[in-house]
Amino acid sequence: MTDTLPATRSDSDVGATPAPTGSSRRIARLDRETTLMLIVPPVLVLLVFAGYVLWRQTADLDGTELRQLRWSTVITLIWEHVRLTFVSSALVVAIAVPLGVLLTRGRFRRLSPLVVGVANIGQAAPSLGLIVLLAIWLGFGFWTAVLALTLYGLLPVLRNTITGLQGVDPTLVEAGRGIGMSSAAVLFRVELPLAVPVIMAGVRTALVLVVGTATLATFINGGGLGDILQTGISLFRFSLMIAGAVLVALLALLIEWLGRVLELLTRPKGL
Amino acid sequence: MWDFIVERRGQIAYNTLQHANLVIQAVLVATVIAVVLAVLITRAPRLQGVANALSAIGLTIPSFALVGILLPLTSIGTVTAVVAVTFYAVLPILRNAVVGLQGVDQILVESSRGMGMSELASLWRVRLPLAWPVILAGVRTSTQMSMGVAAIAAYVLGPGLGGYIFKGLSQIGGANAINYAVVGTVGVIVIALIVDVLLLLLGRLTVSKGIRV
Repeated sequence: MTDTLPATRSDSDVGATPAPTGSSRRIARLDRETTLMLIVPPVLVLLVFAGYVLWRQTADLDGTELRQLRWSTVITLIWEHVRLTFVSSALVVAIAVPLGVLLTRGRFRRLSPLVVGVANIGQAAPSLGLIVLLAIWLGFGFWTAVLALTLYGLLPVLRNTITGLQGVDPTLVEAGRGIGMSSAAVLFRVELPLAVPVIMAGVRTALVLVVGTATLATFINGGGLGDILQTGISLFRFSLMIAGAVLVALLALLIEWLGRVLELLTRPKGL
Repeated sequence: MWDFIVERRGQIAYNTLQHANLVIQAVLVATVIAVVLAVLITRAPRLQGVANALSAIGLTIPSFALVGILLPLTSIGTVTAVVAVTFYAVLPILRNAVVGLQGVDQILVESSRGMGMSELASLWRVRLPLAWPVILAGVRTSTQMSMGVAAIAAYVLGPGLGGYIFKGLSQIGGANAINYAVVGTVGVIVIALIVDVLLLLLGRLTVSKGIRV
């Protein structure tokens, strides 16, 4: 079907990477990568987290460090980070998938290059600038952070929804209509299921973008693990910098892994 | 807003150039690193999955976290910014370079060897030119991403426009907060778009005539 290498952070290579010639070899390679990415990150996360726990229990920390790395604090921050990520990603899917569907229907089809173009330019905006500008406009806090993260995560899902739907073989749509399905039934029972793998690749990209950018929410009092990092950098405490960075990275890896698992689980059985 | 920009035009121009400079240099270095790595990786096909997995893991690590990890090693300032931007810039190019080199038809490589080219000549005159459009696509992705990473690296006093965004943040409520934030953000978008156009032009100039579409 459509060409979708597992998309990266900014995902522009989804469209840009042409299909290499040997397609069977390519599938084998992807499989290898997929297997690796399904097994390695959780193991890595577990090992490094165990290392962190060991360090945390034995390290000689002073008052400030202890306060910031108290377990109850860390768990609250993780929860805030996860909440930021999931609320924003859910909004992204709720907005981008219907919009993508709309932009592949009848009259709106002509608008889709325009919308994707605008979204592409929007993606060039630095996440930091977007967050700060929205905070100046709407005030600090969780929901401003969610809005910024949602805007930031829209493009990959929108683009992949459009690509995925456009990649559905038109003869299948015709066949659906031919056996008497309404256009809504064709959409929900033929087109969307066939496009799901591509859409889910976009969702995973969005998850990774959002979980990483959520680190910056701390600058506008949106919470999350960025707090530890920010404290560490402003007080220049190496222990806090490293601890914060490691925890954020582990959470991001775990979310990426979750995205991959979701991708596998939602793939229609026939494909 | 206009007065704000005119008053500080020298400084703004300087920081804009610094931002562009940081990104362009980092991407240049990253392109060389990525292509060399990709050439090595394509010699050992087993490594490919590993390389892709590593680059996916690398891209997952939030840039602010990498800055935090680097800080004890490279201290506050430009070095941290350069290392962080280069690190992220390598990954998309590496991925595309591996795909691009792998996509070169083996028969072509064999014919070039048959014509008497050394392995190096075949790499330089056959494989790299054929893979170049794909590599260049990776460079574009990379550049766009690096613009944002460079902005974040300004938190540890890296050069460029990110400093304005943080200044806007710290002066919220003050008269110039929004000016600073807008100048920083829009400035980054503008250079991102300009550099992207330049890369497209570079593509026109450097993609081998025979494979232009």
